Amino acid sequence: MKRIAGRTLYTLLVLFLASVAVFYAIRLSGGDATAARLVASATAEDREAFRELLGLNEPIHQQYFTYMGRLLSGDLGVSLTNSSDIFKMLTFHGRNSLILGVTAFTLVFAVGIPLGILAARKRNTWVDGAVMTFSIGGMAVPNFWLALLAIWLFASVWGLLPSAGCCSPRQLIMPAFVLALEGIALTVRMTRSAMLENLESDHVRTLRAGGLSEARVVNKHVLRASFIPIISLMGLRIGQIVGYALVVETIFGWPGLGQVLVNAVLRRDYPVAQFFSLVLVAIVVAGNWAADIGYSLANPRLRKT
Amino acid sequence: MAQTVPSKIGSTQQARSPAETLLSIRNLRTAVSQGEDRFDIVRDLSLDIFPNEIVCLVGESGCGKSITALSVMRLLPTPPVRAIGGEIQFKENDLLTLSDKEMRKVRAEDIAMVFQDPLTSLDPVFSVGSVMTEVIKAHRDLDTNTARTMALEALQEVGLPDPEKRLDSYPHQMSGGMRQRVLIATALVLDPDLLIADEPTTALDVTVQAQILEMLLEEQRQRHMSILLITHDLAVVAGVADRVAVMYAGEIVEQAPVDELFEDPKHPYTQGLLHALPHISVKREKLIPIPGVVPPPQMMPPGCRFAPRCPYALSRCWQERPELEINAGRPLRCFNPQPFVA
Repeated sequence: MKRIAGRTLYTLLVLFLASVAVFYAIRLSGGDATAARLVASATAEDREAFRELLGLNEPIHQQYFTYMGRLLSGDLGVSLTNSSDIFKMLTFHGRNSLILGVTAFTLVFAVGIPLGILAARKRNTWVDGAVMTFSIGGMAVPNFWLALLAIWLFASVWGLLPSAGCCSPRQLIMPAFVLALEGIALTVRMTRSAMLENLESDHVRTLRAGGLSEARVVNKHVLRASFIPIISLMGLRIGQIVGYALVVETIFGWPGLGQVLVNAVLRRDYPVAQFFSLVLVAIVVAGNWAADIGYSLANPRLRKT
Repeated sequence: MAQTVPSKIGSTQQARSPAETLLSIRNLRTAVSQGEDRFDIVRDLSLDIFPNEIVCLVGESGCGKSITALSVMRLLPTPPVRAIGGEIQFKENDLLTLSDKEMRKVRAEDIAMVFQDPLTSLDPVFSVGSVMTEVIKAHRDLDTNTARTMALEALQEVGLPDPEKRLDSYPHQMSGGMRQRVLIATALVLDPDLLIADEPTTALDVTVQAQILEMLLEEQRQRHMSILLITHDLAVVAGVADRVAVMYAGEIVEQAPVDELFEDPKHPYTQGLLHALPHISVKREKLIPIPGVVPPPQMMPPGCRFAPRCPYALSRCWQERPELEINAGRPLRCFNPQPFVA
């Protein structure tokens, strides 16, 4: 319990620091916020008046407190480009991203863990070799290239899947797999090596000496001990998926948070960019927090301290 | 059969017939594969264990003691290590020819094993009680509560403090001595006929060692089981053994009841071991170490394996391999035994 409380406090601190960093980074990154809304022919006075209106002439720390005050009271503001309500953007794009992200995350572990177990149980056979070759390939291929390759093969050449768009299951297949592949590859390796380490450990030999069947030893005891490193991998993977989603959503024209954020940054749409950056930070931090908690629950050595 | 087992000196028991043996290892050969090559780690090993006795298997590190034990349990790391010859008769069966399923029934139920390192030998992510219950239920058709009660009784019996609480403990919450008691309780919970204990006290403090050994002896007496105790510690041997088999480089070189072995060791290796031991009644200027080390399996000498380190080696010893033969009333693998000078 003490550990969980500690991790939670730590997580809140990280969130706070991240919000400050995001806020400053956007304002210090250069570019002109007025370009988001005003036409190119607007005069210097018009621009100055617009800045004044947005409060951009205030000291940055003051802008921060004003912004955070509104945010915490539930006022997310509107986009500078088209005045659309940011809360509505969050629900629409957030839902799309959630579909893509959760699918990819599920694929990572639903495919990666069984393949890793298979490779460990068939170690040093051709099955193991094939799985490990796939794993090395999966880690080596950059996702933006894989995305283009997949579109070319499955959409252009074979015409099996739509090349882009949202949000039918057929449209989901390619972006989800592209987003998941590196994670699958890494999970396979991690699961395999954790399984192998435990298969030959002293405590597993004790269980065999107790007359437990090999299936029970592997499926219950070895697997459970091997899950400990995999759980920390899950926390990190959430962060990776959020990061890669920016690229994958853009390539596949998937209207998710990543796409919104990329566009907002390019247009200096401050309210949108900073809010969605914060959302992504919060997801990553929450993922790590959940992994920490899960890790404590799975590992009795951390449970009661 | 060339080597019969001598009767126990100082006990009322007479020489026993092979029919009475609990475990009879005959010409066991266990080898490790390295690529195309194969090297023997245990060679031509024969050993009998009778009901209700403690046999010690003694020797330096790396001489094949643990491999012998794991061969009996069929828990060798295969590949690369494999028992490739001989027989291991237990009751009516040759353990080496049993199916995996039949062998699983033998483990814990008939022959149980306790390992060397209590710190790593317990499952770190399951509680003591859940693992013990699982072992019991793998052999007996019992509900969880009954199995838990059996586990609790076993923990009480091995003298674990606060056993009810310990059922729900995890290994990291216990000391080394407590963990070894848990391992022993797990091994004894199904009341096996034979307990193989592989250096059960080596990793423990000296005071805890004595307690654990005392407890093992007590259990052996109460349960009328046999123990095959593997150790390199001659002080332990002197304290607990009925009979002793001395191993060198994968072979048994001498076998005798414990009193005879300590009084009158015949094999130069056994004599060397005793010379290297401080003795309370004999004043020695220095302990005399055995020069050299055990040769690795890839580099075994063609003749007697101890010849390179033996002070009495003859030219014959370098060329011919001595067999384990009855010599002066005990199984001995030596061409040139010398009287022992303490």
